[in-house]
Amino acid sequence: MHPEAEQNDSSGFYTPVGSRRKFFHWMTGIAASLIGVGLAIPLIGYVISPAFKRMEQSWIDVGRERDLPVGKPKQLDYVTSLKDGWMETKAEKALWAVKQADGQVTVFSPICPHLGCGYRWEDSDRTFKCPCHGSVFDISGKVMAGPAPRSLDVLPTKIENGHLLVIYKEYKAGLPKAVEL
Amino acid sequence: MRLYEWLDSRLRLKPIRETLLDEPIPGGASWIYVFGSATLFLFGLQAITGMFLALYYAPTPDHAYDSIQFIEKEITFGSFVRGLHHWGASIMVVMIGLHMLQTFLYGAYKPPRELMWMVGVILLFITLVFAFTGYLLPWDQNAYWATQVGINMVGGVPMVGDFLVRVLRGGESLGALTLSRFFAVHVLFLPAVLIVGIVLHLFILRRVGPAGPWSDERAKLGSETFAPRQVYMDAVVMLALFMVVAALALTVPFDLADKANPSDTTFVPVPGWYFLFYYQLLKYVHGPFEPLVTWILPAAFILVVFFWPFIDRNPARNPAQRRTTMLAGAAFLMVVFGLLGLSLRDLYAVPRLDPSVAHGKALYAQYGWAGCHVIHGEGGGVGPDLSYVGDARPDREWHHRHFQDPQAMVPGSIMPSFPLTDRELHDLTSYMLSLTQGR
Repeated sequence: MHPEAEQNDSSGFYTPVGSRRKFFHWMTGIAASLIGVGLAIPLIGYVISPAFKRMEQSWIDVGRERDLPVGKPKQLDYVTSLKDGWMETKAEKALWAVKQADGQVTVFSPICPHLGCGYRWEDSDRTFKCPCHGSVFDISGKVMAGPAPRSLDVLPTKIENGHLLVIYKEYKAGLPKAVEL
Repeated sequence: MRLYEWLDSRLRLKPIRETLLDEPIPGGASWIYVFGSATLFLFGLQAITGMFLALYYAPTPDHAYDSIQFIEKEITFGSFVRGLHHWGASIMVVMIGLHMLQTFLYGAYKPPRELMWMVGVILLFITLVFAFTGYLLPWDQNAYWATQVGINMVGGVPMVGDFLVRVLRGGESLGALTLSRFFAVHVLFLPAVLIVGIVLHLFILRRVGPAGPWSDERAKLGSETFAPRQVYMDAVVMLALFMVVAALALTVPFDLADKANPSDTTFVPVPGWYFLFYYQLLKYVHGPFEPLVTWILPAAFILVVFFWPFIDRNPARNPAQRRTTMLAGAAFLMVVFGLLGLSLRDLYAVPRLDPSVAHGKALYAQYGWAGCHVIHGEGGGVGPDLSYVGDARPDREWHHRHFQDPQAMVPGSIMPSFPLTDRELHDLTSYMLSLTQGR
């Protein structure tokens, strides 16, 4: 029998006592904590890591700039592959592009800034009209009538080698200022 | 402490605590008794890491491989968590081996502990089924073909072989139904069964008590309580094991092979190392003796191990008085480790580094041949996949002639011939021959 161990009265078994006993308790606690922390940190990171990842946005080619008619909005197909976890899906959006008389190209988000419906171009009175709640915008995107709180949202564009490149973004609906989602 | 007293005054926890912690250990606590706790710890680690892996795993053939790639490449600590699960499984098998060895050496399976041994053997086989079903889940070439071979071996069982194979696969061929049932068995059925088994194993332990040392003199010294010294030893070993598994997970990458391709029959799979000795054994037996090794021997072995406490009737526990048993055990270990060693030697034979392979690879890129051929998922699909062309065409002379005149070797081939120098020809061929699974 261990000299430091003492007989335990109630059970008849021996068990370490005093500082020896404390040491075993401490070591057990330290080992358990190290394992716990060693597991908890990676596992927490593992769980939350995809939750706050922003989708990567890149310039997408939507066609040649010279194909756009001056002074008349044209709907352009914007095709991008969206990453959804381990899956990739093709997303298609139809954007409104307007070439002004001075050659400047403006691309509008296809979503009405009021409550998020899709609007369309009315050639007869040269306005964008939203069928949901009757918002009307002029060719520069300014609100002419209806409940829309702000102008049509303008997407970032650039022209490279004659091709129009766009980054698609969505903005919160119903606010007087454009706030990115 | 006050919370504990509050709970104790209502739930009367003290008796439970005393039962759990004051379990008597004959002859006192010892480092040799840690393997059972170590195995239990690793099972817990597998359960936890497994639950977290399931967060991002999709058990269907079209997504399984991609979802594992996603865990490996996109998730913070993803490869670490997967590494813990992979290496934890291996170390768990090692700990079970040591636990059984200790039990065997100490004669701890002898009366009155026969049932504890038998439940333990069942736990061992549940663990091996865990290993087998888990192996398929990444759905890479190795997973697919190793499982194919494993299932086919069951087909050798007389009368019911075909039936069993179909039930295992969930159909005619290995596919979506196989993957989903292996997944369900791995993550739902087996854990439930294993937990019941563990509870039973521990219940028996508490009813009959630990065996303690084999010599009566040491046992007569009296019993020590389980806590705190044995608990401390168990905890230290658990921490050490955790550090070993974590270090392996961090330093030894466990890469996926190419995605499972059922039409590529050239792939030579490698099973988990704990099945390797058996895999090696199968190499030596052909023809009419094959069923002997594929199922008669394993079945007999399982029965002998399971009923071992009733086969070994010698009441002595001291190894010195159990010569035959010890010799049989040693012989068994020598056969298993001998086969494992042979198998590892075959598998990991160090490949000779050949500079011409690197040069050939550079030439392949320089000529832009990736535009036509796929190697491990990279490149265009006009020509055949070259990932394992060295296995399919191991003949150097064939490649030489094929590079110079493709149509002469493969009639109707649309591959153009290139004006290559002798050196280029040699190095490109070396590169082609290096594209094997030799790993």
